Formats: sequence, C-alpha cells, structure tokens
Amino acid sequence: MIEQVLLVFFHLALVLLLSPLITGFNRVLKARVQTRQGPSLVQPYRDLYKLFRKGMVIPDTASWIFTATPFVLFVTTLLASLLIPTISAHAPLSLYGGVLAVVYLLALGRFFLALGGLDTGGSFGGLGSSREMTISAIAEPALMLAVFTVAIGAGSTNLSTVAQSGLGQSWRFLAPSQMLAFAALFIVLIAETGRIPVDNPATHLELTMIHEAMILEYSGPYLALIEWAAAIKQLVLMTILVNVFFPFGLSVDWSPGPVLLSLVLFIFKLLLLSVVVAAVEVSNAKMRLFRVPELLAIAFVLSALALVSTFLFQG
Amino acid sequence: MTQPSGPIPARNFDEIRASCGIVFTDWSEANDAEIYAGIDISDLRPMVARLVENGCRLASVFAEDRTTAGSGFLLYHVFESLNDRRYLLVRTSIPVDTPAFPSVAAEIPAVNWQEREIHDWFGLVAEGHPNPRRVALHDNWPEIHPLRKDFPIDTVLPPFEGEQHLYRPTLGEGVFQIPVGPVHAGIIEPGHFNFAVAGEPILYLQLRMFYTHKGTEKQFEQLPVNRAVYLAESISGDSSVSHGTAFCQAIERASGIEIPARAKRMRTILLELERLYNHVGDIGAIANDVGFAVANYHASRLREFILAVNEELSGSRLLRGVVCPGGLRHDWEQQQTDHCGAALNRFELEFAELMRMIDASDSTRDRLERTGILHPDKARDLGIVGVAGRASGVDRDLRRDHPYAAYDEVSFQVPVYLEGDVLRRMRVRVDEVWQSLGIIEQILATLAPGSHRAAVPPLPPNCVALGTVEGWRGEIMHWIRTGSQGRLERCKIKDPSLNNWPALVEAVEGNIVPDFPVINKSFNLSYSGTDR
Repeated sequence: MIEQVLLVFFHLALVLLLSPLITGFNRVLKARVQTRQGPSLVQPYRDLYKLFRKGMVIPDTASWIFTATPFVLFVTTLLASLLIPTISAHAPLSLYGGVLAVVYLLALGRFFLALGGLDTGGSFGGLGSSREMTISAIAEPALMLAVFTVAIGAGSTNLSTVAQSGLGQSWRFLAPSQMLAFAALFIVLIAETGRIPVDNPATHLELTMIHEAMILEYSGPYLALIEWAAAIKQLVLMTILVNVFFPFGLSVDWSPGPVLLSLVLFIFKLLLLSVVVAAVEVSNAKMRLFRVPELLAIAFVLSALALVSTFLFQG
Repeated sequence: MTQPSGPIPARNFDEIRASCGIVFTDWSEANDAEIYAGIDISDLRPMVARLVENGCRLASVFAEDRTTAGSGFLLYHVFESLNDRRYLLVRTSIPVDTPAFPSVAAEIPAVNWQEREIHDWFGLVAEGHPNPRRVALHDNWPEIHPLRKDFPIDTVLPPFEGEQHLYRPTLGEGVFQIPVGPVHAGIIEPGHFNFAVAGEPILYLQLRMFYTHKGTEKQFEQLPVNRAVYLAESISGDSSVSHGTAFCQAIERASGIEIPARAKRMRTILLELERLYNHVGDIGAIANDVGFAVANYHASRLREFILAVNEELSGSRLLRGVVCPGGLRHDWEQQQTDHCGAALNRFELEFAELMRMIDASDSTRDRLERTGILHPDKARDLGIVGVAGRASGVDRDLRRDHPYAAYDEVSFQVPVYLEGDVLRRMRVRVDEVWQSLGIIEQILATLAPGSHRAAVPPLPPNCVALGTVEGWRGEIMHWIRTGSQGRLERCKIKDPSLNNWPALVEAVEGNIVPDFPVINKSFNLSYSGTDR
C-alpha cells in the first residue's frame, strides 16, 4: 500500500517535471530552424515560477466557473497522466480506469476550459471556446477509434495491458492497423496540443487564436496552472503515442534497474517525437480555420480504416 | 502579369479642357507639373463629374484658410489624367459667411474621409455628404476647427472624455459584434475595428481611426522650413524618405530650383532602399500571419541586410535626416556606394532563396490565394493607390506617370494583377523588390561625381507647389503655400493609407475572422500617416 502511494508520488513528480521540458525542447528546436537563438530549454520552468509568484487580475464579470476552471483542468489532466504507462508498463492507477477514462478526463478539463473562456463574456474567449469545441468534436472520435484499434489487438482498454502486450511483439507497429492508428493519433496530437497547422501557439493575434483565446483573461497562478496542464496534456498524448506503439525498452515492473533504462529510453522517444512535431510545425503554414475539420476528418478516416484492418489482417 | 485596358481614352488636360465644356474662371500653368484652375462654387459638382467622365482621377481634396488674406476659404480638387504628367488643381473659393461646399463623396467614395476632414478641421460643411459624421476629430471633441487661422496652436482644450461614437448596429439572429482595439496585442498603432460576424464569417467591418491625430498639418505652419523637413520625415515612420522627399520637392518647386543630377540619383536610391526594406518585411509578415514563421525570420534577416546598407549610406537605419531641400544632407564616398552595390548583390541571391521557400509552401499559398479579395471595380471607385491598387488592376505608379528624382533615367516595369487577393498583394511586393534592385543597379552604374546639394534661396512668399512621391505604400502628396519669413502658410499631407483604409472594409467582407490579420497585413497601412 505504501509502495503504491510512493509510486503515485514518483509518477506525479515525473510528469510534473518532465512536461515543461518537452515544451521547452519544442521551442528550442523551432528557434534553431528559424535561425533564432530562442529561449533556453528551461524557460517554461522559469515562466511557471514567475507566474506562480504574480498577482492576478480577475474580471468583474467572472463567476465561480472562472476560478474553478484552472483547478479542474489541472487535476483532471494530472489524473489522466496517472492512468497511462510512462516508464513502467504498470501505470500507477491503471486499475481504476483504462483509455476511456483518459479520454474523458481530458474532455472534462476541456469542457471547463471552454466554459472559463465563455464565463467572462469577453468576445475573444467566446471565439476561442466555440473554435475549440468545433475541433474537439471531431478530434475526440478519431482519438477514440484509434485507441480502440490497439485495444482490440491487446484485448483490453487498459493502457497498461496494451503496452505490455506490445512488449512481446516488437515489430507490431508495422502492422497496417497500427500504422494507420498511429497516423490518426499523430494528427489528433497536433490538434489537441494546439500546434501548427491547427493552431499557432506563438501568435499574438487574438483573432486567429484557438487555445490562447480561451485563456486570454487568465493571469498569474491561474494561468500557470493552465499552462502547466497544457504541457501535461501534451506529455500524456505523446506518451500514449510512444508507449502504446513503440513500447520496447519499457520496464515491466518498478524495479530500479529496468526503470532507469526505461526512463532514458522514454525521454529519448519523447524527444524524437518532438522533433517530428517541430518539423511539421516549421514546414507548414497554419490552415484556414475551416480546413481544420477536414484535417481531423482525415484522422477519423485513418482510425476507422485502422479499426477495419485490425479485423481484415487478423488471420 | 496582365495589363488592364482602360475603357476611356486617356487625354491630357488641355484636350479635356477644350472638349468638356466646363467654364474655368482662370487656367494657369504654375510649373511643368501643376495646372491651377479656378471654378465657381456652383459649377463644382458638374465639373468633377465631367472630369471623371473624361477619365480623370480625383486624387485628393483639401482646403486652406485664406481669411487673413481676405479671400475666405479655398478648396482644391486635385485631378490626375493618365496621359498627362501634370496635376490639375481646381480651386473653389468659399466665402466666410457661408462655410459650406457641395460634396462629391456620394459619386466618388474615394474622398469620403477627406471631405469629412475638411469639415472637422475647417468647419466647412460638406453639403450632401452621405455620411457627414466626424472622422478626424472624434465625437467627444469640443466644437473646434484647428486648421483655421484664428485657432492658436497653443490652445489648451478643457478636459474631455467618453468616446460617443455610434457604430452601425448589428442586428439579426446569431449576429455578434466583436470590438477589437484601439489597443492591440502587438507593437502596432491604435485603431478600432468593429466586426459584425455571423459565426466566423465577417458581415461588415467598421473602422475608427485618428486615435493618433497630432495636428501635424498645423504644426507645419509653425516651423521654419529646415526643421519642417524633420517633421515631414516623421509623418509615417516607415516612409521617412518618401515623405521627406515629397516635402522637399514641394519646397524646391516653390523656390524654383532644380537639384543636381547626383542628388536626384541619390534620392532615387534611398527611395528604393526604403521600398526594399518595407516590402521584404511585409512579405515576411504576411507569411508569419499564416503561421509560416520560418519565412518571416529569414525575411527579417534580409530586412536587416537592407537596414545595414541604409546605415552605411546615411548613418540612419530608417533613413532619417537624409534628405533636405536642394538635395541631400551628406554626400557619399565611392567606398560607400561600392559597399551598397555588393550588399545588394548578396541580398538578391538570398531573396531568391527566400521566395523559393515561400513559393514551395503549398499551405501558405492555400491561405493567401482568394483571401481578402478587393475587386478591381471597387478598387477603382474607392481610389485605391499603391501596392493594394496594383494588385487590383489599378495601373498607377507615380514613378512612371509623374516621374521625379531620377526615375525618368531608369527603366522598370510596374507589376499589375487583377485578382486583388492577399497573394497578389504579396506578388506585387515581390515583383517590386526585383524592379527596385534593378533600378538601384542602373542608378549605381551612372552615379557620377558632382554636387549633392543645390543652394536653396530664401523661400519666396505666397507660392504654391505640390510634391508627389510614390512611397512604398503608394501615392504621397505634399501641397504647400509659402508664407513670410521662410515659413509655410499651409502644408497639406496626403498619405496613401488615407485612401486605402476603406479598401480593407471591402476586402474582409465575407472572409472569416481568423483571416483578418493577414488581410490587414497585406495592406499594411499606416495609422500615423492617416491620422497625422
């Protein structure tokens, strides 16, 4: 029991500390391609530290929803992170829920974020919320179908089981269903983390924003929670991608030796995926807003095909 | 590249005068660039209609207060004809006791704001104006007319606040208003944009400018000419050479002096360098607004390249304090011009590479093509000038149509497109970058040693003159009337932004809200130049 609790704390610390690093790494990569020096790798940590010490400006029109949103978002995202295997195939809380819980914990956070954007009555918040909901309405089914594909292969929706089943068969990711599902999930990752070509995280233009528009009214510690939650959500989605499709090197239990190796491999795989994400970002312009659903429809079709091919090539 | 053919045969003003049947009270050629004609106020509207029918373009409308000289107010309509290098300035006298003039804004929407400015600044009522609200002085200003001579510039107004402007109401189910500005998120100037939207599509955009109105035209009347040049350079910070040159050309014309050939060529180089750094910056900014940041950073690097050339030649990255009446403040050493030529050769290679990168990006093209279309008919009716005009089929370029500096010595093409979308506005800039490089190269090859500055005699009193420059944004006009002791009685400034803001309203209609920033950027208008 004590071990379980310690494990949860260890896992939380890992997710909390690692998530800003991925954000920082992505920015460093992009800056290099743009011939800029760019901010340092640890700038996201500095930003969080700075925001937590700052005062807040809360609009007069804000209700309790505005205050509750950062907490709900942060807690749900963190809970979701406990349900996925990171450096060990055993996720700390995997007994309490599988992939459906992960998807809907994230959806709950997004629901509150959209409410928080609408709550103050500002015009940009409403714009952002409506756009976010439009996009997530299509991104969510694509995500669901893609994870179902791998769940069918493993015979369980529990992500720990899925990762473990993958361990035995290192070349499984070459199966058509797996590749299609990976492609679909990659598009979902781009959309859900607000990256180009779906959203531009670096823009100052309120009229073009999606995620940033919803959180325009937030400042100080609340903003820090939201930013941190966004980084954790990115880590969660990236972890699902790397650990479910490429689980090799993943430790089967929590013994120190394999876990350390697993940690090194895990970070390596995440950084590799970040490079791919950054490459997509720097080589594309942002899509026109009305084209985004088309991109997500592609993700949906890919995951549907993945599901179908699971049965076709099962024999 | 397509050249639109105008339906009306272009003729010069003398032919038009002989055939159109308008009774001008006088007609005199002040110099080889300006014709001044007088007309009775009752003939004003028919005169404007006849000239426009004959293919003339009403370029500007402005007024001056001559009550101290006993002639009431004078109103000028500035016309341009495609086949004439001269401008026709038609003067109408307005008596002090009936401060009103017939408006032509209903027929020629291009002068909508300019006529309202005259109302705000001089208290002359534009009779029959379809939208006679205030524009230059906001609604909460007291009833003052600052450009009248009896309004002292040091007047301290009582404090006033509370902007009362009424926007056109937005009605209908699911239709919302999105107010944006005047304070914006980026480091840009203030302007208010009021969007009426149904979901994402924009139904209607209402603009509110003049938040940075500084009384610049009044300020010109206070300064000695040598200091007024600095004021001209700061009308719009990104067009300092263009505005400075337009002002100096007006002074030189009023003084009746010709500047040395070397000075003309040096000015040409500076004007083209200004065009280069702004166009390259804009090309990058357009790419940035569709999220293609890599192109923007490379464009910024290239812009920096030109800024370094500017500094090498003038000591000022943004080319301030360079031009002066009679020529330029400082001559260049051979070494400096050699450096300029070498740097531009390197720039040419890198710019070609940047354009290859942008052209290869399908996602960028997808965002720019058919976005923010300004139809050629609308561009013509609204009197859109410069880059925005040429992207919508308005084949006008002062460098070719009314040559100044050394532009009659060089050959260059004027790019014109008919599609009028964001992509074509960027294309015009790209084509002009190539043309500018060619112009500078031609000038550098012929830049012979000589005097860089002519002596300027004391300014003769009571002379009028026009100075026009095709700035990188479009047509810049400075009109002056000289006063006593080397000062100015009146300086009218027309920045191209003043013409082009209404084009933005037309271009965004039917587009979606997130495309507004890139449409706005493709026009890249100056708030400061508009507001003055």
